[in-house]
Amino acid sequence: MQVFLQTIVGGVSLGAVYALVALGFSLVYRTMGLVNFAHGNVVTVGAYLASTFYLSSKLPFALAMVIAIGVTGAIGLVIERVLRPLENRDFDLMLIGTIGFGIVLDALIIMIWGATGRAVPSPVPSAPIDVFGLRIRTYDLVVLAIAAVATVLLVLFLSRTKRGAAMQAVAMDHEAATAVGIHVGRSNAIAFMIGAGLAALAGGLVGPLLYVSPALGGALGIKGFAAAILGGFGSIPGAIVGGIAIGILDSFAAGHFQGYSELVTFLVFTVIIMIRPTGVFGERTVNRA
Amino acid sequence: MRQLRFAPLALIAVAAWLLPYGLDSYAIHVVNVILIFAVLAIGLGLCMGVGGQVNLAQVAFFGIGAYATAILTTRSGYGFWISAVLALAATVAIGLVIGTPALRVQSHYLGIVTLGLALAFTNWVTNAEITGGAEGISAIPVPTLPGVDLSSEYLYYYLELIVFTVVLVFGLFVVRTGLGRRMRAMRDDALAAGALGAEVPVLRMTAFLLASIYGGVGGVLYAGLIRYVAPESFSIANMFLLLGMVIIGGRQSLIGCVVGAIGLSLVREAFVDHPTVAQIGYGAVVVLVVVFAPTGLAGLPGRIRSWWSRRRGQPGTAARLQPFQPYPALAERADAEEVLRVTALSKQFRGLKALDDLSLTVTEGEIRGIVGPNGSGKTTLFNVISGLYRPTRGRVEFRGRDVTNQAPYRLARAGMSRTFQNLRLFGDLTVEENLLVALDRSATVDSWRYVLRPISVLRRNRDLHRQAREVLDRYGLTEFAGLPPKSLPYGIQRRVEIARAVAAGPSLLLLDEPAAGLNGEEVRQLSEIVRSVRDSGITVIIIEHNMGLVMSLCERITVLAGGRVIAEGGPAEVATHPAVIEAYLGDSMDDIPPVAEEASR
Repeated sequence: MQVFLQTIVGGVSLGAVYALVALGFSLVYRTMGLVNFAHGNVVTVGAYLASTFYLSSKLPFALAMVIAIGVTGAIGLVIERVLRPLENRDFDLMLIGTIGFGIVLDALIIMIWGATGRAVPSPVPSAPIDVFGLRIRTYDLVVLAIAAVATVLLVLFLSRTKRGAAMQAVAMDHEAATAVGIHVGRSNAIAFMIGAGLAALAGGLVGPLLYVSPALGGALGIKGFAAAILGGFGSIPGAIVGGIAIGILDSFAAGHFQGYSELVTFLVFTVIIMIRPTGVFGERTVNRA
Repeated sequence: MRQLRFAPLALIAVAAWLLPYGLDSYAIHVVNVILIFAVLAIGLGLCMGVGGQVNLAQVAFFGIGAYATAILTTRSGYGFWISAVLALAATVAIGLVIGTPALRVQSHYLGIVTLGLALAFTNWVTNAEITGGAEGISAIPVPTLPGVDLSSEYLYYYLELIVFTVVLVFGLFVVRTGLGRRMRAMRDDALAAGALGAEVPVLRMTAFLLASIYGGVGGVLYAGLIRYVAPESFSIANMFLLLGMVIIGGRQSLIGCVVGAIGLSLVREAFVDHPTVAQIGYGAVVVLVVVFAPTGLAGLPGRIRSWWSRRRGQPGTAARLQPFQPYPALAERADAEEVLRVTALSKQFRGLKALDDLSLTVTEGEIRGIVGPNGSGKTTLFNVISGLYRPTRGRVEFRGRDVTNQAPYRLARAGMSRTFQNLRLFGDLTVEENLLVALDRSATVDSWRYVLRPISVLRRNRDLHRQAREVLDRYGLTEFAGLPPKSLPYGIQRRVEIARAVAAGPSLLLLDEPAAGLNGEEVRQLSEIVRSVRDSGITVIIIEHNMGLVMSLCERITVLAGGRVIAEGGPAEVATHPAVIEAYLGDSMDDIPPVAEEASR
């Protein structure tokens, strides 16, 4: 029982990171029906930026994170602007376009930071807290708190601001949104920017948890996507639940299958998609067309 | 002229044959690797470009072929060629498993699932003992061929060249005949392809079958060439490189895929000391290609040609629609049977009742009109009858057989054909190919003929072309045969869609608002066509808002409102029916029926 609970605790903080990645995917998907295949690479860029400012420039962790979010947000804007001619036309081509961006970002990462990875020390004192015999790292609590705050801010933005409401409108019907004077391209750009920002947040937070390397984003990206699907693509509560669930699944798979944990995670993910493509909170059918 | 057409081909063949004489041992190695990538790219092109199935697991197919060969030769001690055949079989088996998600999901979802499975494969080979872990498997024996020493890369080149030529020709053969046409139709519009009898699930699996065969062949060649396999050769980075080749070359053209594979490999070779620079370069080119030239290099000649002719101010060739030539009328039969019987049909979309306990019978040789206000359930009725929607309750019988819940393609093959309210022509096929898809009634599972009886496939293809020419001629469309339907005026597109639906050889034809957007003269021609189609022995059901057309064309008219039949009878009878007048003009605002969803949603 102790081991069981400890495994769950271990999975939750990584799950929160997956949830942030999933939120980024979901936000872009619900606004423009596109899965951003470069999302994982943006996570890596965020992780490297945050760790670079934190380690080399000796900036406070929080400030390093903010800068990383700003820079990746700009990357998000660039991706959206370049692919805008394809929006609402050909989703398969857009998908390949984002893969193209992923290829470029991947190479840039290796060019700037090299092919080897780096370890990032935890920004908070590392002595774990003992709760009823469970050992909880203080940094895990930081991750959970930041993820929770980010989610609340996102929900407030979408539901309470005019810009957010406009984005919801575009998500429902981009033609009708255009007809009432919403700039669809700008709305998509903001979605992409926030999505990229969330990716950087996830990347920055995951730095002290995992080893930061060029391969970081690939795995995080796919698991974040799996989380988004599991919860129901496009749904915000779904992304959170899916993220935590994948984190725990991951944690168990790592405990039981060691090296094969990725294999198990991906197989489970495939089976879930086959059985229920719309996920737990899914409202929309798979083919938007 | 005919000899001249083959001259470039012969030149390429001679050049390819003489190529090794001018290359040093490193260069021939590079060429050998390029040929393998070209084979893989053709497979990916067939799956993604022709079949429209996003496949990011091609590199895993490649890996399975190579690893299976390695394991069977080094661990089990089989000879190379036996191992090769077994490896190919293994790749195909796993390819079909990886393809099964395509039956449930498409596009992005399929992309991520196949990518996940490819990652699962690399994860497995780096960890499993049988695959040698991260070190991989070395010392794969040299493939033996009597009298030929295949350890020489120069001679191996000829083996690869022959295999490459065979698989390229086979790929082109598939694309240009019935199977490939049906796959392309499915890619452009899976719904319409299904309604014309294309077995969409089987075709999706065929796409993955082809991809896995090509992947397996590539893998076997790789194992024989390098004689060493390790996980990094089958990484996601290589998958994206392969994708880059196919996209840059032009995914819809196999030749384009080959050109892309050769071009990108050469560029990568030129930047061999700066791999990241090369990677940035081809990533950027992929982005530019999808935005500015989605058809890739293969599409460039056509684009340049059209740009040139536009610059010179040449208007498009002045093709004109010729008059429709009526079908020979069949002698009227006295014993008209029941073609369609719909009993107590209901269809519910969440809270919305689109069809409510609706019953209807249509007898042979009728032209039945179905009218009703917007949102009265007309299109929903068609969608249920033709199998696109599952009814909530009730049954549909077609020619005496219960066909409720049958897949659209089965109904189409049983003799039901339809058109769509907002035109669903296959955009990337020509007008003639649109007709060919409908004319071709051969089953996709008979595709073994492509391997065992290619001549019969060719003969059948010639037959179909002849039939297509007849249809084109009858509908006055001959001059538009080679044009993409999107380039034609709306009225002509409508006519093409009707011609396509009739070409499928149905016994029941469903027309969903065929007169929408037509001018007066076109409506008159339409009415002539529909009458002639009926006289040739096809029962017609027509949804239409143009009352003049319905009244003059249909012997019986069914009026729907709120998902129910409110009146049925001859034109004069229906027009004066009080319920009909009420439904159309309305005496109160509170019984306006809800808006039904369309098939396209």
